[in-house]
Amino acid sequence: MKYTITIESENAPGTLYRIAGTMLRKKINIEELHVKEVDSKRHLSRFTITIFLEPDLMAKLIKQIERIIEVVHAEYRAVDK
Amino acid sequence: MEKISGSQALMKSLVREGVDTIFGYPGGAIMPIYDALYDYKDRIRHILVRHEQGAAHAAEGYSRLRGKPGVAMATSGPGATNLVTGIADAMCDSIPIVCITGQVPMAALGTDAFQEAPIIGIVTPITKWCFQVTKAEEIPEAIAKAFHIASTGRPGPVLVDITKNAQIELFDFDPSAKYTFPTRKSDIEPDFTEQLKEAVELLNNAKQPYMLIGHGISISKAEKELKEFIEKSGIPVASTLLGLSSLSTDHPLYMGMLGMHGNYSTNKLTNQADVVLAVGMRFDDRVTGKVSGYLPNAKVIHVDIDRAELDKVIEATIPIHADAKRFLTAITPLMKRRDHSAWIKQFKALDAEEKKEVGDAELYPKEGEITMAETIRILSEKTKGGAVIVADVGQHQMVAARYYQFRNPDSYITSGGLGTMGFALPAAMGAKVGDPSREVIAIIGDGSFQMTLQELGTIRQEKLAVKIIILNNRHLGMVRQWQELFFEERYSFVHMDNPDFNKITDGYHIPNELVEKREDLAAALDRLLAAKGSYLLDVRVEKEENVFPMIPSGANIDDIRIK
Ligand SMILES: Cc1cc2nc3c(=O)[nH]c(=O)nc-3n(C[C@H](O)[C@H](O)[C@H](O)COP(=O)(O)OP(=O)(O)OC[C@H]3O[C@@H](n4cnc5c(N)ncnc54)[C@H](O)[C@@H]3O)c2cc1C
Ligand SMILES: Cc1ncc(C[n+]2csc(CCOP(=O)(O)OP(=O)(O)O)c2C)c(N)n1
Repeated sequence: MKYTITIESENAPGTLYRIAGTMLRKKINIEELHVKEVDSKRHLSRFTITIFLEPDLMAKLIKQIERIIEVVHAEYRAVDK
Repeated sequence: MEKISGSQALMKSLVREGVDTIFGYPGGAIMPIYDALYDYKDRIRHILVRHEQGAAHAAEGYSRLRGKPGVAMATSGPGATNLVTGIADAMCDSIPIVCITGQVPMAALGTDAFQEAPIIGIVTPITKWCFQVTKAEEIPEAIAKAFHIASTGRPGPVLVDITKNAQIELFDFDPSAKYTFPTRKSDIEPDFTEQLKEAVELLNNAKQPYMLIGHGISISKAEKELKEFIEKSGIPVASTLLGLSSLSTDHPLYMGMLGMHGNYSTNKLTNQADVVLAVGMRFDDRVTGKVSGYLPNAKVIHVDIDRAELDKVIEATIPIHADAKRFLTAITPLMKRRDHSAWIKQFKALDAEEKKEVGDAELYPKEGEITMAETIRILSEKTKGGAVIVADVGQHQMVAARYYQFRNPDSYITSGGLGTMGFALPAAMGAKVGDPSREVIAIIGDGSFQMTLQELGTIRQEKLAVKIIILNNRHLGMVRQWQELFFEERYSFVHMDNPDFNKITDGYHIPNELVEKREDLAAALDRLLAAKGSYLLDVRVEKEENVFPMIPSGANIDDIRIK
């Protein structure tokens, strides 16, 4: 299944590395990636990442991503064809 | 405000966190910090280890008994990379440690400077958090945050890497500054009133309820609440390897250890339970065996402080994101007083079988070489179950877990998740520093001992009264067992031509004995226990003992073999 994940995080060096690392552990390939600061006062960035994954693993992946200290919130939605 | 250096600020920050001990090893990129430490000798005890891996394991051992993060310190490059195994170990077993590493100056970062290793890049996947400080003024907050993150929620290792310029630069230090960190959104434990009701309903009406406890009980310091809960509800309990000693092994509701080398009854009856309450354990594959054959019919209530653990391995009927103590405190008043003696009898029947098939022979052998099991049995009797056992990795670890009769909490310290050979000697050292009032006994295999035996030097120099028992079978016994059982006795590189451990220990001026005969064992253990300082026994045990029962790797839990 194709999914888009949105992650809100601190705008800090290494955050992308941590998120990518969480995916690498499961050998998930990143198909698309976009990062941008969305709140300059609170130094928050938003990541938008597209991946392919089996549906039953998606919720688990989000919880793993939310364990990253710099991550504030993560969610996902299926990309319909 | 006063102007002080980053290194001095680090000392002040560590003192503020209540740090009284650092396990460390100096080097070029951390020299300004060691220089500042020189002025703190009266407040912070620095223990010079013999290898940085030892510093990380010692910090783990310290943390397990002191109940707050242990601190390990190392220089850049090889010093930092030597910490890595210990950090990974602490990550797997949820042990709070704070590692501080020196780093090349900021201007030299990324230039392949002398002793530069990208330690943040290396440890990111194996730390709960890590941070590189490049300016002195960042130090106070980074240290406060490091201790906060290491010790709150699900604990774990953190690393703060400090570039040399940041150690030297002066800045305005505010001694009154307070740092607070809001609870992260995913760490906020939701209200569990509804789930609690459902859980109570299930448990109060269960025919054969079963409680599984893990390391989370000790992390939460919920031993008393656990006891109150089971004594009211009458529910039998089994423990993971890391949950051992959270409940005294002589408690009538304690059924034994779970998993690959746990007890026969506790595994065999797992799938007979209709309702399972799992608290502070993460259904490791050593516990579940093949997941598809694990608890196919039971209703599962899973309580964990880390919501990523819920539904990770086992889909729970009722997942509860909560601290163990908070949960147990809330549920006990709602439990009905019940008697499950018929269900418990089933455990006792299988225990009798295990005793007949395995226990009697290895615990009370009449002839042949000394066994690991009888050594642990006699040690347990002589210490009345009151010691802290720090076990290394292998057969000896399993035998110590199976046969030591734990009476007090926090009495079994081992490397569970990573299974790091070499853990025990440095961890025992740290544990002894963490709580000098307790008798700390390291149980180590001859293979594992040779991974970190240089820490005998630290034990000697710091006069740490760590007791050491080598269960010496001249083999990598655990691997040998697998080769015997699953690889057609093709013994591929598991024999060890060992050095004379007594001579080595003599070299470190630590009293020691060789024990080869059964009739000498008890008296040697007496001398070990009577010793005021460190003492080592090299106990020659049977070469080709196997640990049973055993769930073969990848098999169903029901297929546990008793021999
Ligand atoms: C050679 C070898 C053989 C082994 N054989 C066995 C075996 O036979 N049986 C066995 O059990 N293990 C065995 N192990 C160990 C096994 O690999 C795991 O380390 C162990 O099962 C994990 O136990 P745990 O889940 O209790 O602890 P951990 O892995 O430490 O997990 C603790 C859990 O508690 C949670 N937690 C933390 N704090 C709290 C809190 N305050 N409140 C609530 N929850 C909290 C954590 O989030 C985590 O999910 C073996 C290891 C080796 C090296
Ligand atoms: C660092 C490390 N390397 C390899 C292993 C794999 N391993 C697990 S148990 C074991 C044998 C341990 O031998 P020993 O310490 O003598 O203990 P015994 O099993 O004989 O009691 C090995 C090699 C490991 N756990 N850790």
